[in-house]
Amino acid sequence: MIFVKTATPEEWKAIASAISTIVDEATFEASVEGISFRGMDPSHVALIDIFWPNSAFQQYECDSLIKFGVRIDEFAKLIKRSEKKDSIEITINQDSMLSIKIENGYKKEYKMRLIESSSSSTPLPKLSFNSKIVLSYSTFDKILSDIQVLSDYITIDTKSDNVHFLGRGDSGDADIALDSKSEGLEELICKEDSLATYSIDYLLKITKAISTVGGSVIAEYSSKMPLRLEFTVAGVGRIHFYLAPRIQD
Amino acid sequence: MPSYEEIKKQLERYWFNYLKENYKNLSTLNLEGASPPSVFVGHYGYPKVNLGPMVPLEHGDTRILDTPEMWIGKELQDILNIRLALVRGLKTFKTTDLNQRFITSLQELTMSSKSPECEMKFDSRPRFDSDYLTNGNILKIETPPFGPKGGLKSFKLTSSNSDKRIENSYTDGDLKSTQAIIQLYKNGIEVSKIQKILSLGMLGIKKNRKLVPTRWSISAVDDILSSNLTKEISQYDTINSFEVFKYNHLSNWYSILIAPHSVWSFEMIEAWYDKQNKKFVLESDYEDARGLNHYPKIAGAYFAARLGVTEYLSRKKRNAAVLIFREIHPTYLVPLGVWQIREGIRESLRNDHPEKCKDFQTALICSSNGLQVPLIDWIRKSNFYKNYGKQLLISRFF
Repeated sequence: MIFVKTATPEEWKAIASAISTIVDEATFEASVEGISFRGMDPSHVALIDIFWPNSAFQQYECDSLIKFGVRIDEFAKLIKRSEKKDSIEITINQDSMLSIKIENGYKKEYKMRLIESSSSSTPLPKLSFNSKIVLSYSTFDKILSDIQVLSDYITIDTKSDNVHFLGRGDSGDADIALDSKSEGLEELICKEDSLATYSIDYLLKITKAISTVGGSVIAEYSSKMPLRLEFTVAGVGRIHFYLAPRIQD
Repeated sequence: MPSYEEIKKQLERYWFNYLKENYKNLSTLNLEGASPPSVFVGHYGYPKVNLGPMVPLEHGDTRILDTPEMWIGKELQDILNIRLALVRGLKTFKTTDLNQRFITSLQELTMSSKSPECEMKFDSRPRFDSDYLTNGNILKIETPPFGPKGGLKSFKLTSSNSDKRIENSYTDGDLKSTQAIIQLYKNGIEVSKIQKILSLGMLGIKKNRKLVPTRWSISAVDDILSSNLTKEISQYDTINSFEVFKYNHLSNWYSILIAPHSVWSFEMIEAWYDKQNKKFVLESDYEDARGLNHYPKIAGAYFAARLGVTEYLSRKKRNAAVLIFREIHPTYLVPLGVWQIREGIRESLRNDHPEKCKDFQTALICSSNGLQVPLIDWIRKSNFYKNYGKQLLISRFF
């Protein structure tokens, strides 16, 4: 049995919409330590890894390891029926139903059917990062949209004192340059020059999904290696988004 | 090969002869014959639609007249003979009028495993629709051409024997239509038959059932079955070599490239000949394992082709990435319907001896060999080309 309570629905909203960008059905794992999710999109290009520690909840009760599967769109739909100041209680008993209690003024309870949880566990990519870029959420979002106007892909070119975001399409090229003085760039660490290209479609989807929460985005990568984005969402210990690179000619 | 003009003349000659010969028979207000079985549900005026049985002037086993699975190897002229032989009787109903006796008798007709004898009484003499020869929009037509049609006064089924497999799905009002379609397919019901069953509102949760226009039903069934098969093949290992299959029929030239890949992706590029500008015009739709995120620009052709390909991979128990080139030559005078694509791809993949290629580049060259559109034009239009081997998989870094 699981019983967890949060003071606001914002974390659940962010998690549900992040996950819904890569899968239709999500298997969560609840343990004594907290709730986690890990899954890959059907194309095996992106991976999301989430850990939400028990300390971040108002109340957290889970005495054993429990996996539970939900249709993520249905789950998100119900969670979205709450407002910013509503508290959320989620309970799973033995009856393969998940209950969502939303309280603010009066009580509202939804019950949704759980689906069969997947038994396979997804490993994490083994990576070491040569470059780390910390951007304000809104700057990152803007850069992606600016590049997407003419390109399906974004190339990130990081040197010790600046970073370029590049795009190339049929109609022309885009180049967005930031250095330590630029607004929106909060941190830049470059152990080794790094250059890699990624699909904008995936990046925009995940970024838009977590948009309600704001904060900053930590992007880490190495040349021709996967990118890892870390989104800071109050309370949730870890939302990591991994994206495999493209080989450019 | 005869030219466009020759084929067109020949077709017109045939058309006039057919009209002359059948004029007498069709000038009657009554018609008796064995329906393949065959039904039609129109889409004009939806959700009020014209629908009714299709019956030839023939008796006995007429299944071939509405079973495209039996049409491979036939020429354009043969297919037209088949299609024009069916006379449509029509009545107008709302898509939810499933309890009307007329509609239940059409459902009974559709369930039949043989060709039931039918009687149609018309309001007025059946006539031909607008002519097909001047129809410029040849690529978007999902339904095959039809014979004459007339308003129905009454319709009577004088014999029938229902297929138990279909009857079971029909009586199961709790089974979702998607599941029912997959179940019928697994039980060996032909795709063209399932399309008719869905069209007559015979599948799905009881209270949600309604008539589905034939042209929508055809693509819906191709889409549902092939989507389901892509899920199935996603569990299999990839094929281990590049295979290229070729097939030409009815002035449609197909080239199918099956490439090793541990996740599914699919693209179909169509090139149709623009007679005015004297060049091929290309259109394409692409999906990766996340599925298609828009209605295909090449419409029902996309789903029909995807079904043919996923059936092949399911049979082989293999996953792959698939790229199809389809060239539509000007001698494809009359649009015959997407069955032509489904059956063409199926027939091509029945061949056990594809050309095997050592790498992607060689396979692409092999694919475009013998086609009139040069490889560079196919590539320019291709999303498959942009992604194949270029987008790395995250699983590669585990």
